[in-house]
Amino acid sequence: MRLDAGEGVLSLTTAPVHAEKDRLPGDPGVWVFITADVFVFGLFFLLFSLGRVAHSALYERSRLVLNPALGLANTLILLTSSWFMVLAVSAAREGARRRVMRNLALAMAVGSVFAVTKIIEYTTKIHAGITMLSNEFFTYYFVFTGVHFLHFIIGMVVLMICWRKAKTQPIDGNYVVWIESSGCYWHMVDLLWVVLFPMLYLLRAA
Amino acid sequence: MGNISEFKYWRFCAWNGPVFMFVFIAFWGLMGHNIPPWNPETPAAVVANWFRADANLIRTGMVMGMTFAVCYCVWGLAIGRVMGKIVGKDSLLVDLQVWGAGLTVVPLLVSTSFWLAGAYRPAALPDEILQLLYDWAWLLIDLAYSVTTVQLFAAGVAFLQDKRQVPLVPKWLAWYGIWVGFMFVAECLMPFFKTGAFARDGILNFWIEFSIWFVWAPLLTVYILKAITRLEQEARV
Repeated sequence: MRLDAGEGVLSLTTAPVHAEKDRLPGDPGVWVFITADVFVFGLFFLLFSLGRVAHSALYERSRLVLNPALGLANTLILLTSSWFMVLAVSAAREGARRRVMRNLALAMAVGSVFAVTKIIEYTTKIHAGITMLSNEFFTYYFVFTGVHFLHFIIGMVVLMICWRKAKTQPIDGNYVVWIESSGCYWHMVDLLWVVLFPMLYLLRAA
Repeated sequence: MGNISEFKYWRFCAWNGPVFMFVFIAFWGLMGHNIPPWNPETPAAVVANWFRADANLIRTGMVMGMTFAVCYCVWGLAIGRVMGKIVGKDSLLVDLQVWGAGLTVVPLLVSTSFWLAGAYRPAALPDEILQLLYDWAWLLIDLAYSVTTVQLFAAGVAFLQDKRQVPLVPKWLAWYGIWVGFMFVAECLMPFFKTGAFARDGILNFWIEFSIWFVWAPLLTVYILKAITRLEQEARV
C-alpha cells in the first residue's frame, strides 16, 4: 500500500513502491547500452550529413529511388508497437499479468510487420540491382537501416523474453525493472528510426 | 578455493592484460604501421616498399606481438576466476569467457605471422604478394571478431548476475562490454569497402571499433584486480 500525493490528491494504491518521478526507468546499466548506441548512431547521422553536403546531387538522385510511403508506414508501425509497450509496462507496474502479456503480444505482432516491409524494401532494391556497393548514399542506406534492423530483431527477442517471463514468473519489482529496461530499449529502436526516416527518405538537398 | 596463495597467481594473470595492451600498441600498432593500417587503396608498390625499407622494424614489432599474444588468454583466465566467484566455477559462462579469450589469441598470432612473413624476405617477393600478406592479416584480425564477442558476452552476462551490495565488477561495465561485443559485428562490412567509414582504416571499422575495446579492457582489468583483493580479504576471514 502506498500514499500518493500527486497533484494535491491523496490516494491509496496497492502498486509496488516506486518513486517514479525521480528514478530512471529500468536497470541503470541498460542506459549505458542505450547511450552508447545512440552515440554511434549520432556518428552515423554525422557521416551521412557530411556525405550529403559533399555529394548533394548523387544523394538527391538516390533518395528519389526510395519509397517514402513504406518509410512512413515503418514509422507508424514502430510507434504503435511502442505504444503497446508503454501499456505493457504500465500493466506490469499494476501487477496485471494478463494485460502485460496481451500488450506485449500486440507490440510484437505490430512490430513484426516492420520486418515484412523492410524485407520488401530490401528485396525490391536488390532485384533492381541496387546494393550497398552501388554508391555512397546506398552504402549508408543499407548499412544504417541494416544495423537498425539488427537492433529491431534483438528488440523482438527481448520482447519475447519479457512475454515468457510474464507467463512463468511473478509480476514483481524485479519483473518491472526487466520490462522497463526492455521498454527503454524498444523506444530507442523507435527513436533511431524516427531520425533515420526523414534523414534518408525525406531531407532534400538545399 | 584451496590455497590462499593462489590469489597471487590470479593477480599475475590479471596483469597480463595491461602487458598485452602495451605490447600490442607499441609493437604491433606503431612499429607495424597498424595505427591506422594502410588504406586499402594504397598501391601495392607503396606497401611493398614499406616492407622492404622497414623490414627490421616490422620483424621486431611482430616478434614481440607474437610472443605476447598469449597474454590475452592468460588475462582471460584471471577474469574467469573472478567470474567463478559470482556464477560458480562450474558455470558454462566461465568456460565461454575463457575459450573466447583463448581463441582470440589465434587471429592475433596468425595475423602477426603474416606481417612477419612479409618482412622476412621482402626483396624476393613481388609487390602484389606483399600486399596480399598485409591484406590477409587484416582480414583475419578483423573478421575473427566473434571469438572476442563470445568472451565479452559471457563476461557481461556473468557480471550482471552479481548479487553483492557492491558488485565485484560494476553493472555498467558489464553492459558496456556486451555493447562492445555487438558493435564488433560492423566488421562484417570491412571486406566490402576499400575507402570510407567501413574500410579497415575507416572511422567506424578501425578507430571506433578498436577504441571501444581499448576502453573496456583496461577498465575491466582495474576492477578485476580490485575484485581479487576483495576476494583475498574475504578468504582470509
